[in-house]
Amino acid sequence: MNQFTFESKEKQIFLGAIGLGVLCLILSFFMDSTPYHSRFWSNFLHNTVYFTGIGFLAIFILSAKLLAYSGWHTSFKRIWEAFSMFLIVGLVLMLVIIAGIFGHWHHLYHWADPEAVAADPIMQGKAPFLNPMVYTIFTIAIVGIWYFFAKKIRSISIAEDNEGGVLNFSFNRKMKIWGAAFLPVGGFTSAAIVWLWVMSVDAHWYSTLFAWYSTASWLVGMLALTIILLIVFKSKGYFSMVSAEHLHDLGKYLFGFSIFWTYLWFSQYMLIWYANVGEETIYFQTRIQEFPVLFYGNLVINFVLPFFILMRNDTKRKTGTLMLTSIALLFGHWLDFFQMIKPGVLHTAMESAGEHAHGFTSGFTIPGLLELGTFIGFLGLFLYYTYTRLEKAALVPQNDPYLKESIHHHV
Amino acid sequence: MSNTNNEVLFGLYNDEVELMSAVKEAKDQHLDIMDVYTPFPVHGLDPILGLSESRLHIAGFIYGMIGTTIAFGFMTWVFTRDWPIIFGGKPYFSVPSFIPITFELTVLFACIGMVVTFYTICGMGPGVNNEVLDERITDDKFCIAFATDGMGDDEIEKLKGFFQSTGADEVNSKSLN
Repeated sequence: MNQFTFESKEKQIFLGAIGLGVLCLILSFFMDSTPYHSRFWSNFLHNTVYFTGIGFLAIFILSAKLLAYSGWHTSFKRIWEAFSMFLIVGLVLMLVIIAGIFGHWHHLYHWADPEAVAADPIMQGKAPFLNPMVYTIFTIAIVGIWYFFAKKIRSISIAEDNEGGVLNFSFNRKMKIWGAAFLPVGGFTSAAIVWLWVMSVDAHWYSTLFAWYSTASWLVGMLALTIILLIVFKSKGYFSMVSAEHLHDLGKYLFGFSIFWTYLWFSQYMLIWYANVGEETIYFQTRIQEFPVLFYGNLVINFVLPFFILMRNDTKRKTGTLMLTSIALLFGHWLDFFQMIKPGVLHTAMESAGEHAHGFTSGFTIPGLLELGTFIGFLGLFLYYTYTRLEKAALVPQNDPYLKESIHHHV
Repeated sequence: MSNTNNEVLFGLYNDEVELMSAVKEAKDQHLDIMDVYTPFPVHGLDPILGLSESRLHIAGFIYGMIGTTIAFGFMTWVFTRDWPIIFGGKPYFSVPSFIPITFELTVLFACIGMVVTFYTICGMGPGVNNEVLDERITDDKFCIAFATDGMGDDEIEKLKGFFQSTGADEVNSKSLN
């Protein structure tokens, strides 16, 4: 089956998920113990950032694979192309956050509050970068550029289906040029966008490793979602040429990049712990003392679990264990972004309102039901959009010169 | 592999496709293959030969765990019992500073242990000289070998016939010590 059909049953499921997400967002807007509706806004930012990042990493890895003359991923590369199309939806959702900054609807970012900045020399020093204009221009330009490249590479890939041939490398070469241009652009701009979107939530704090660390988190989330979708599609009869060999290699990626993520997490943690500079340690101090479940749970789900489950050869080849780990990691890296964003937002909101955060705060200390519902909603939106994009093109690029290599892939 | 007085009959093939079909044919005829030698790893050969998965990685995991325990245990003992020193105002038992060295020793123990184990089970090592059936099997020839100790002439003829029918380039015999 080379033509994907978005069945109406699946449509209903995803629309139901989106409905649940919207309901949870509305509920979290009103059922909120924190000032400025921070629970709603931080949920919105958190999920938007996570899923937009998954879209970005899809096109980034696709470009890297093009440049590396990689062939094994060809049979399922349409999934990554479809993921990357979500960037446009992510941009629209980020525009809501931007509108909120200009309209002072929320207090996600301390630096967006002119009075607070005027009274704060540290934030004044950062003001040339951390201000609403830079935030707006960078968000629109950078996500726009990402989407442009993703669209370009996808359109060449689709044109290859119609006009190319298995021995015709001209389309592949064109995609390679676009991919080569995208890698440095994507690499540098993703760092800037992570500083603005996520790191500036803790406006006083900065870490040079932060962009690497959060990008690694996106990457593991993206791979986990790819594996989940491939297994689901295979059970429906699509992607018959994707075998245990491909899943094995994706499982290796999942395993390897989970360790890479841990390496970056630890590098960031240990340097700050060792240097013991007050304005840096406050970041981890807050998380260890007030968010211990998030802080340690993050490490257990994202490191201990995949490390011991996926270490063996056969667990990467068996659908059950791979699916289990992928679901855990998709949730785990969502939780990672949760702990990057929520403590800072809570602190900013409480400080601006002249209160002090103490004890358990629902929706912040650990993800509540509304947070999980919002996650399901955004996942539904992401999958709905991905499925419609998958429907628009052949599922397997029949004229890709590397397809044969992918079909005969053997590890 | 190293029994005394080994008579070996072996056929040399020119590429791995011929080799694979010959191995399949030998399995169909229930011929008892002593070993197959190739200049590079041939994908899909192991399951046809019925070789079980290597257990080297289990040994590697155990060596790694030994490394972890030794590194972490030793540092803990030194810095809390034997010679406690305060570094940068940190507690004596400060786990984050132990982790890099624990990681390094885990890797070191795992890799050295696996190399030694691999050399031991393969009978290799400094000063050991293993006889090779034909030097070209490390270059461009693919070899199937049969142990022919105590075989009658008709059985050996049958093996030679097998080599001829499966397209072997050369058929030789050699006596290994």
